[in-house]
Amino acid sequence: MTATVPAAPAAPAARARAHRVTLPGPARLLRLELRRSIMPWLAPLFAVLFWLVTYHPAMANQPLWNIRSGIVPSHTMLAFAPLLAGAAAWAGSRERRRSMADLVGMTALPRWAGQLAAWAATTCWAEAIYLAGVAAVFVVTAHEHAWGGPLWWPVAVGAAFVAASCALGFAAGTLLPSPFTPPLAAFVMFLALAGGAFAIQDNVRYAQIWPLNVQGPFPLDSYGIFYPYVPDLAIAQAVFLAGLSAAALGTLGLPAAAGGRWLRRAAAVVTAAGLAAAGTGVALAGTARLEAHGMVIPALHDAASDRAIAYTPVCSHAAVPVCVHPAYRAFLTDVTAAHGPALSQLAGLPGAPVRVTQVAVTSVKPDPSNGIAFGGPIVSGRPPVLYLPLAGSSLPGEGSTSAAEFTDFLRQLDGRWIISVVVGLSGQDSELGGAGGNVVPLASPRNAAQVAVVEGLANALGLTQPSARSAGKTPGSRMPVSGAGTSVNPPGNGTPSITNQVRAAAQRFASLPSGARHAWLITHLTALRAGRITLGEIP
Amino acid sequence: MTAARATAGHQLACLRLVRLYAASRRVLTCLLVLAACAVALRTALHWLPRSGIFAQQIPLTIEAGAAAVIGVTAASPFGDPERAAGRWLPYLRLAAAVALACAAFGALAAGSAAQHLDGGTLGLLRDLAGFTGIAFLTGAVLGGGLAWIGPLGYLAVTMPALSEHWTTPWLWPARPPHDHGAAICAGLVFAAGLAMVTVCGARAWFRR
Repeated sequence: MTATVPAAPAAPAARARAHRVTLPGPARLLRLELRRSIMPWLAPLFAVLFWLVTYHPAMANQPLWNIRSGIVPSHTMLAFAPLLAGAAAWAGSRERRRSMADLVGMTALPRWAGQLAAWAATTCWAEAIYLAGVAAVFVVTAHEHAWGGPLWWPVAVGAAFVAASCALGFAAGTLLPSPFTPPLAAFVMFLALAGGAFAIQDNVRYAQIWPLNVQGPFPLDSYGIFYPYVPDLAIAQAVFLAGLSAAALGTLGLPAAAGGRWLRRAAAVVTAAGLAAAGTGVALAGTARLEAHGMVIPALHDAASDRAIAYTPVCSHAAVPVCVHPAYRAFLTDVTAAHGPALSQLAGLPGAPVRVTQVAVTSVKPDPSNGIAFGGPIVSGRPPVLYLPLAGSSLPGEGSTSAAEFTDFLRQLDGRWIISVVVGLSGQDSELGGAGGNVVPLASPRNAAQVAVVEGLANALGLTQPSARSAGKTPGSRMPVSGAGTSVNPPGNGTPSITNQVRAAAQRFASLPSGARHAWLITHLTALRAGRITLGEIP
Repeated sequence: MTAARATAGHQLACLRLVRLYAASRRVLTCLLVLAACAVALRTALHWLPRSGIFAQQIPLTIEAGAAAVIGVTAASPFGDPERAAGRWLPYLRLAAAVALACAAFGALAAGSAAQHLDGGTLGLLRDLAGFTGIAFLTGAVLGGGLAWIGPLGYLAVTMPALSEHWTTPWLWPARPPHDHGAAICAGLVFAAGLAMVTVCGARAWFRR
């Protein structure tokens, strides 16, 4: 007779163990390190920093992908990189701090592998925090119906910078274990970032590699809309940061305690390759040059970046239609209001623009201190079209700029110049105007009538003198154009008698009714442009 | 004769206690780092422009670094045994914290002497006091080993505050040196940090 003994039910813990997926060794080690990392405890601090340093300024700007995509990595990493270096140094010095160096040194696992797992855990947490922040900004921007899509290259450089900060800090903490190493690692990272910013402002050629430098001196709103984002500089920065990370992590494998001979040789190769990559990145950044749509590195440049992105412009229904890029749809009313008065005065005149079309830029030139000067608008084509760049102007909502300030800025900046072009003064000034120069040509007997007409129209439209304009609030970095040439000469320039006569004629012309001014211009514009009108003939 | 010998012995014991406390907190290393900060400040001020964002940010970074290092010295290597047996511990903590804060101010003031420091010595005193107070507070909450996170995290917040001209007095580095509100906020933070580190020490609430 046999008796069957029922199997005892498995204990809950045993059942849980049976269902648990057995991870391979490195993954188990990484999981352990992820659980032991200090980074989850610092996540609230990083979240607060992100909100203050990145989210708040990004949301204060217009929902343009180029602005937000540029702010996110540069602002975030300025705050995060030093703290990440410090936190990684803290993680790297853990074994010495906990007096476990000898204990873990005699395990079967090579020390280099264990250290890489600790670095990887810190980096995984840091990347998760960084990417969560990026996602928050991008999701909100997408909900604001921004035109186009995010620029991923700056985000990728930020991610590479996260890894590099952790690697450098971790290497410092491992090689120099001391309670002072984490703060000093963070402090040195802060100083390095400040030093990079200082070098780039000092126009040091190789300083373009500075990882917070998104697109050289270009303002955030001046690229990635009309043409694709030029990723050359970002590629060089990513190569540099990857090289730094590899060199720092490779250094950890060089000491005798790190592992066997082959492992140390591999570490030496990784270190050398990392240093070579970092050097290559710096050398590539040194060849970067300023072009119309971004910083171009010839060795990395892809001609596809130079092809314009197709779009359907958004136009106003004024007498002279104003067309802007759909990304700037929200500013159409402001741009129309800015240029409407001048354009309506000139509508129907020969040579007057029949349409205003927004363009990316008309010209760019480098300025000292990592600056950039954008050219002003140009009039060209048959029928004439006013090509208007808005790059470099502070848009409404950007910083403290209001819609009224933006409109007034555009009106004052370009109004005189548009009038000058139509009355024929631009022939001598257009080149300077195109380059964004601020030149005040003198009124001479040859062009005195033209200057007087433009001055009169400007007075009638309430456009201020160029000197007052430059002294006043000018949101943005776009330079005033040479329409200033239409102003009456500043004191000490030119002949006083001509200046007084021009001023008197301008006052007479400004006092005319708008319709009378327009009618006179229709009749006399050809003669005025040819220089056949005298000051006395101006009504 | 016996009383005099007892007094002398007591003084020697006090000195020995102070020396041991200073050694356990690595005060000498801290002083060396503070001297290095002073040299860094002097070098930076030599090269920096006299005004602008860099003239503000780089000295602030050095001040925050000095405060972070002072915060780290609050960490105890002994933990609870010292806490249980050390009757004079709060006084030693207070004395060490004040002495190191004064040493940091003296070193940085000496480093900026005869150079143009944006904000002047008054601004240096206010900003350093505030940073040090944050370091002490962070040390009391997270432990001395992580006390650097507070001042350096605060420094990260001051960067946009300086460039975008935030006006809250709680971001005192962005305010003029003679601003009363900013001085009061920095003083309050320093006093709170000093009180916390004196009473509680830099206890590590979690070990990672």
